[in-house]
Parts: sequence; C-alpha cells; structure tokens
Amino acid sequence: MLTETLSRDALAPGDTRPEPSAPARRAVSTGEASRGLAVTVRDLHKSFEANPVITGLDLHLPAGSFTAIVGRSGCGKSTLLRLILGLETPTSGRIAVEAPPALSARAVPPRRIMFQEPRLLPWARVVDNVAVGLTGLGTKAERRNRAGAALEEVGLADKAGQWPATLSGGQRQRVALARALVSHPGLLALDEPLGALDALTRIGMQDLIERIWRAQGFTAILVTHDVAEAVALADRILVVEEGRIALDLRVDVPRPRRRGDPDLARLEGRILDHLLGTPQAA
Amino acid sequence: MAKPSSPPHVSARLRDATVPWLLPAVILVGWQAAVSAGFVSNRFMPAPLDVLRAGRDAVRTGEIWTNLGISTLRALAGFAVGGGIGFALGLANGLSRLSERLTDTSVQMVRNVPHLSLIPLVILWFGIGEEAKLFLVALGVFFPIYANTLHGIRSIDPALVEMGEVYGMSRAELFRRVILPGALPSIFVGLRYALGIMWLTLIVAETISASSGLGYMAMQAREFMLVDVVVLAILIYALLGKLADTLTRALERACLAWNPAYRSA
Repeated sequence: MLTETLSRDALAPGDTRPEPSAPARRAVSTGEASRGLAVTVRDLHKSFEANPVITGLDLHLPAGSFTAIVGRSGCGKSTLLRLILGLETPTSGRIAVEAPPALSARAVPPRRIMFQEPRLLPWARVVDNVAVGLTGLGTKAERRNRAGAALEEVGLADKAGQWPATLSGGQRQRVALARALVSHPGLLALDEPLGALDALTRIGMQDLIERIWRAQGFTAILVTHDVAEAVALADRILVVEEGRIALDLRVDVPRPRRRGDPDLARLEGRILDHLLGTPQAA
Repeated sequence: MAKPSSPPHVSARLRDATVPWLLPAVILVGWQAAVSAGFVSNRFMPAPLDVLRAGRDAVRTGEIWTNLGISTLRALAGFAVGGGIGFALGLANGLSRLSERLTDTSVQMVRNVPHLSLIPLVILWFGIGEEAKLFLVALGVFFPIYANTLHGIRSIDPALVEMGEVYGMSRAELFRRVILPGALPSIFVGLRYALGIMWLTLIVAETISASSGLGYMAMQAREFMLVDVVVLAILIYALLGKLADTLTRALERACLAWNPAYRSA
C-alpha cells in the first residue's frame, strides 16, 4: 500500500502532487492520485462565551494541498483547525469538507489530527497505539498488521512492542504521526505537532511529513508558530490575525526544498515583517 | 536497581533479599535474650520461643487453621461486598455528573464517621452473627475504594479522552481502553488502603463480638492469661498484612507494567 505509492512517486515525482498554482492541472491530477478532501469555509464565526475568536473567515483549500496557518498566540489559528476537524461547532457560517467527485463514490477517507502533544495511551504498546488509528476497522490482527506497516513508514518498526514511556519525544511524535496516517486519511490537520521537539529532530520530522504527504496525497493543514517551518513545508501560507486571514501567500519554490534557500528566506522575512510590524489590538 | 548484568549479581541480589529482614531478626534475637536473661517477665511478654511453641500447639490442634480460615472468609466476603459497591459507585460518579451530584455529598458526610463507632449499633442490629462483621468490613473497605476510583477517573488526562473521541471510539471502547486503564494506578492505591482497613476492622469486630476467628482466639487467650497465644495472634496479623501487601504489589506490577514507577525495583 504505502510502499506502492512511494515507488510510483519516485518514478514520476510531481505528478502525484497537485500544483496549487495551476488549478486546471490540479483537477486532472487529483482525480488520479490524490485521496485528499477539499475544505471550503464560508463566513465563519466562532465565539467562546462573549469572546469572538474567528470573525468572518472565508477559505478554500483544494484537495491534496499543503497549507500552513501562522499567526501570533491567540489569533484563532488552532480554533480554526479544530472547527475544520469538527472538534468545535461554529457560532455561525459554513464549513464543508468534501471528497472530490472521482472519490465520492467510494467511502470518504477519514480526517485526522496530530496534536501538539503525542497523546499516546501510556498503557498500550506502541503498535497498539498506532492501531487506535484504525478503531472500528477490520479485525484485531489486520489492525496490528497495518499498524506495523505504518510504524515502518515512520522508521519505528523495531519499537512496535515497547511502551511509549521508553521512547524519546521525537519518537513519540512519530508514533502519533503513524497513528494519524495508518487509516490513510483524506485530511491531516497538524496542530503545532513539532513545537516541543529540538531543532534537529524537528527538521527530521518535517522531512518525514513532507515525504509521506507527497506519497499519500492527503490534504494537509499545518498550524505553526514557526514561520521557517511553514515556509519549508507548505504550498500556501495563511497569516491569521484577529480571527481573519490577513495574508495569503503562495510558496512556489520547487520541492525538495533546501533549507536556507534564499527564496524561502525572503518569504519568511516577509511573513515575519507582517507579523511583527502589525501592532496588535489590545 | 543495579543493572542485572553486573558481575557481583548473585551476592547483590542475596543482599537485597536479606536486608529488609535484618531488623526483624535483630529484634527477635534481642527479645529472646531480654526474656531469657530475666529483664522482662514472661508473664507480660513471652519469649519468641514460647510463641513458637504456642504456634506449634495451635497448628497441632488445628485450632489456628479453623480460626484463620473463618477470619479470611469473613474478610474476603466483606471486601467483595464493600469493595464492589465502592468500585461501582466510584465509576458511576466519575462518569456521570448527575450521579455524582446526587450521591457524593452524602458519601463524604458518612465517610467522616469512624466506621468502628458503629459497633454498638451494629451489635444491636445484627447481634454477634456473621452479618455484623460483614457489614463493618464492607463499610470500612467501601470508602477507600470509592474515593480512589473516583479520583482515578477524575484525574484522567482529558487530552487522551479527546484523542479517543477523535479516533471514533465508542463510549464502551473509551471506557475500556482509556478511562479504566488510566484510573487503575489510583484504584490500586485504594485497594492497598482497603486491605489494611479490612484486617483492622475484622480483628476489632472479632475481638468485641465473636465466637470464632483470630480476634476471638486472642481474646480467649487473654481470659486465660495465655500471653504467648495473644502475641502469636498479633504476629499472624502482621504476616497477613504483609501477605496482602505482597499480593497487591504483584498485581500492580502485572497490571501497571507500562508505568515506569511500577516497573521492577
């Protein structure tokens, strides 16, 4: 399964991935390889008690795209992610998460989220934690097999029988990634999943996420504080401010991207200027 | 503890196994010496060898096994009833706001009444039959199991519960795979307390009102000034307490292997 898609990707890189800057081509390519879900948000509002967090937000994320959402703490980016995932209900407005027409005949792929913390069950062995991602699917043996394959994908096949407590922070987050991916989701939301990792581990995880995204073709939404991470991974970057999209940038740097690429650095600078230059309303 | 692969492995393990028993051994020897030398009158404190003899006699007549068996049966029955109810109510109140609001205040009020103070009332109700002992043990065991089960469920990381929900677990699956295992360490704390209270309550109840059992055996001995049998009974309590603790530890180690705090050592 995973390995098949991987080798096909290796033969024809780029073909499996929709090109966000070319809508016509995207329509063709998603039909073939992408299992992604498209997200459409219209005039979304969300308040907690009297506190408005999202104030009239419109957004369309094409199937198979990789979008990063950046912004200051408390700007509403995590709330937006939770709304899209259905973990919160909107105060008003509409959110549609749809499979492309070619896919809709079959079962709609699930949506998954990777949290800031790994949230592994400490009392379940690593492979059983990954199998949580297959809750309600197949027999126990099938779940274990697929979980083992997903662990291999994130490079932790040898840790399958261990307790989460024996793993390092980066390894735990990789287990969480395997759990999110084992059901082959159509949408993967990443809520600052790498925030707690050290710099080198984080770069390794970024590469892993990018590689698996290119192989599987799901729609990815990454919420992050780290502008460099957003620029390195995403096709498109949304800067959220006061519950609205303040800046919408495309990243047209070809993959694989090299860290320290001047184009990426320029983009990063622009976003940071925007974030730091705009005085925050009290 | 130390890496088991280190060379002085056998002697180190032997040392680890003997150290906890060093203090009891020294006390025993000192005790025997004090009584033999006449520092302590054996009318008040029999020498260990006398106690041993009393134990041998009790074993020979079979008296000890009868009493031990009866006491154990009472303890376990009371524990099953009180622990079962405490566990069930702890679960109900941990999982349902309504149930908690309905019962928790009442339980907390009753909890502050020392359960042994009910002995006069219990004797009035049940006489000195089995029901009295069962009731007291069940009541004593109920509270620690209830409180710790409730606390265990309360202290589960909501982030894990949310994770389970996101991954589509049903209520039953969420309970079996997230809530119960998460509450288990706390439930074990309650279990240990409850086992202690179980013996305490039973012995007190048997001492005051019974016609068989270990507590009764000790009281009978007091009437006939058989100090060695009294001390024998007390030693048996100590051993039973240790046995219960050892069993709980083994159970903890088997059930909580995932938790670094319970692994080996």
